[in-house]
Amino acid sequence: MTPIADRIRHSWRAAFRRWADRWIQRRGPSKPPLSLGYRQIFILPTGFGWIFGLITLAMLMGSLNFNNNLGLLTAFMVAGLAVNGMLVAFNTLHGLTIRHCWAAPVFAGEPARLRVSLANDDTRPRPGLSLRSPTDKVNFALDYDQNHEVDIPIPTSQRGWMHPPRLRIQTTQPLGLFEAWSWFWPEQPILVWPRPAQPAPPLPVRGGGSQGHRTVAEPQGEDFHSLRGWREGDPLHLVAWKQSQRHQALLSREFRQEQSEILELNLALAPGKDLEQRISVLTAWVLMAARDQRPWILDLGSESLGPGSDESHRNTCLRALAELPK
Amino acid sequence: MNLTSPASAVYWTLIALTITASPHLMAMPPWLGGLFLVMVAWRWLAASRSWSAPPTALRLFISLILLILVFVASGGHWSRRAATTLLCMMMAAKLMEMFQPRDLRLVAALCFFMMTAQFLFNERLVYLFYLGLGAWTATMALVSIQRLESTPLQQPDRPWQGKLIDQSRQAAGMLVLALPVAALLFVLFPRLAQPLWGLPQQSMDGRTGLSDELTAGSIANLFLDDRPAFRVEFPDGQPPPVDARYWRGPVLTELDGSTWRRSQFADASSPLPEARVGSEFEHRIQLEPHERRWLFALDHPRSGPEDSRLTTTRELLARNPITALTQYDAWSVNAPFGPQTLPASARAYYLALPEGRNPRTRDFANELRQSFPDDDAGLAAHVLEWFREEPFRYSLATAPLGRHNADEFLFDLRDGYCEYYASAFAILMRAANIPSRVVLGYMGGDWQEGGQYLLVRQSDAHAWTELWIDDAGWVRVDPTAAVSPERIDYGARGAIREPRHALDNEWLRNLRNRLDRAQHTWNRWILGFDAARQQRMLERLGLPRGTHTTLAVIMVIALALVTLALALLLWRRDRQPPRSAAERAWRMLLSRLGRRGMVKKPGETPREFAHRIQTDLAAGNNEFRQLAELYSRVHYGPPHAELAQDFIDTARRFKP
Repeated sequence: MTPIADRIRHSWRAAFRRWADRWIQRRGPSKPPLSLGYRQIFILPTGFGWIFGLITLAMLMGSLNFNNNLGLLTAFMVAGLAVNGMLVAFNTLHGLTIRHCWAAPVFAGEPARLRVSLANDDTRPRPGLSLRSPTDKVNFALDYDQNHEVDIPIPTSQRGWMHPPRLRIQTTQPLGLFEAWSWFWPEQPILVWPRPAQPAPPLPVRGGGSQGHRTVAEPQGEDFHSLRGWREGDPLHLVAWKQSQRHQALLSREFRQEQSEILELNLALAPGKDLEQRISVLTAWVLMAARDQRPWILDLGSESLGPGSDESHRNTCLRALAELPK
Repeated sequence: MNLTSPASAVYWTLIALTITASPHLMAMPPWLGGLFLVMVAWRWLAASRSWSAPPTALRLFISLILLILVFVASGGHWSRRAATTLLCMMMAAKLMEMFQPRDLRLVAALCFFMMTAQFLFNERLVYLFYLGLGAWTATMALVSIQRLESTPLQQPDRPWQGKLIDQSRQAAGMLVLALPVAALLFVLFPRLAQPLWGLPQQSMDGRTGLSDELTAGSIANLFLDDRPAFRVEFPDGQPPPVDARYWRGPVLTELDGSTWRRSQFADASSPLPEARVGSEFEHRIQLEPHERRWLFALDHPRSGPEDSRLTTTRELLARNPITALTQYDAWSVNAPFGPQTLPASARAYYLALPEGRNPRTRDFANELRQSFPDDDAGLAAHVLEWFREEPFRYSLATAPLGRHNADEFLFDLRDGYCEYYASAFAILMRAANIPSRVVLGYMGGDWQEGGQYLLVRQSDAHAWTELWIDDAGWVRVDPTAAVSPERIDYGARGAIREPRHALDNEWLRNLRNRLDRAQHTWNRWILGFDAARQQRMLERLGLPRGTHTTLAVIMVIALALVTLALALLLWRRDRQPPRSAAERAWRMLLSRLGRRGMVKKPGETPREFAHRIQTDLAAGNNEFRQLAELYSRVHYGPPHAELAQDFIDTARRFKP
């Protein structure tokens, strides 16, 4: 297959997929919370179902030809089993409630664990269900009047907000002849943090002379804290001329008296060939600083976060890094 | 052996396979059937001890061996039995690679096919139990395979499955719910009036009834056979008198050595034009399959069903061999009729005797001829009288006769079954220059008072003769009647005093008759249901008589209705009230709240619901939150009877 033909095929498939997705979404609610109704449930014979059908057809033709009524009765009973199987497969999904989906943020490249919360309000158990993502399949069963949570891994590749793929909840109950399924789209995007650099360069410690770290000689031994917009009354020596020139605005340095060292993690100064690599390095630094309980400031150029050293500061920083425009 | 363990899918598949294959196994050579069972046993052990599949080369090798063995067993002769033997052995070979749910399912599905294959050989009532048991076990197999496959991956050692009883109830339930669709299709599915492809010549496992030749012992062997040959119903519910119950079958006209045969041209011949004589007598016959073309009818048949015809010798022939239970109407006349003259060539044909045989019979015939020079009827009557006076005995003795078979029987042995009398008498008549032929068929039958039908068994098989008497035509003469009138009056079992086998007694015979009545009903309503009957039934229901297309349309509509009804049934069943009292109380509570506009959303837990509607309830009413809390503990927590009772009482008192 030539690459061009491949590409055409691929684009056709993508177009079909888009069309199919829109069609499904038009048919009825497709995002949790939703209760599966006939508009959401699709049903087709499985591969085994088709073979079973062929066997039944052979039985039917043979018995018809030889006018064998007991043979016909068998074939018809098998047909009856298939009809039942179809109804039961449909019923296994019908009325099932998908309450919500939620996934904790993950680093790009790691699978996100999407937690799907399901409820069975009916008085019958729903055995033999499975949840499928494009890459994974999880089997589960719901007892009557039971709530259940199913975790399914969703692969991630890029930082940012990822819209999870459509998921398929399916069953081949009770005999494996028919597969009933429903598609739904998780209602919330998943936050994917940037991939931390591996191996990460050491943290830009003050005095270490490393790139991402600035030492500023300060009067009164005060620690440099951050840059902020110039306000009236700021002494001239506090004006950060270089940065001001770069940002086309007058900025002042702010100093604060602090006991511990504060790391300054600056996107512009982080090592790396391109933006993504620098983001990776910063991510690794944030993680290292959080692990070591060292307070840090994250300077992304457009905004500066911190200082802080707790979990929530870490998550804020990671989210900001993830959301940086590409 | 645990029938709910993960290996249970294999166990149930093997059980279903063994049950559905059992009639096939009994029909194949014992060593081949044994081999099949060995394969099943191996697979069972492999499942219980977690053995892995044998290597591909070994599997192929064993399959090839099995193939060769099937070929050897069938003697290279392709028949329907050889085909089912092959099917069984290939299933046995499949067991070696049956290690995936996919393969298990295929084997389980083919179990249904195996049953249909067996019904081509036999579809008697007892096979209904075979069908029920086989279908149930095969469904069990499919259910347990499904359970195995949908086991949560986190707990592979504990498949999602309940107790064995639940599983078997599920399988039985599925089958019961399959019955409406099956019944509907059975009644409405358009039947073929003509087969699409040819019928095989042999399929009966050698269980034949009458053959088309007569040698010493060929009918006496049938005396032990209590299987029904056919059943007859009469429009007025009255069977013909006992001495008129001659059921005519093949007519043997050629004596080849000591064996009577049919003419090889008999099938092609057609009856001579004839005058209508006497009144016609209608009767309906359900003929058990016998692999031959002839249809039995009361002597003397005049016409049969549409696709049959009469031959010159007044045999009723179907177009194809009877391989399934066949129901047909026949019309007979109770007196001889037909052409009044026999052409000279035919006369010579019916007088032909092999040369150099039976000299004493020929001498005796000459003597008789001298006594009755022109009176053929008188001569025959005299011989019958002679049978009666001389010490002839009617018994099951089947001494093999030599070259001069008629001589040996008439003058030395004088003891035998009907075929001896018919054969010797016909030879004697031919020697006396009276055209004669032997007729095979059945004589008698048990009138089943409860079922209003006449049951004719294989043991009623009989042979008699017909003589050409000028001005009268072919006249039936039964030499056995002269020797043993009881044979005619009480049937073969009444005439032969000696018990046929150890289990031959009155009580058993009665039981057998009762069973036969059930079989007759089965034949009549299920097996005899064909294209013609289907049309009649539709007419009675007031539906338009029409083509297959009309029928198909009716069928599809009815099928849709039945499916809808089933869907509603399943839907209702799923919404039956919950079992525990606490759950009922909770639902009552919910419906009371619902009437006030506080409806629990699907998927909302009791606690969430209570929290949400807190504001809607009367101010400061914390009672419902407590109730919801209590219910959560009762319902989701460990069983606690007092707590449950407490909840129920509080729920009853609760005022929203």
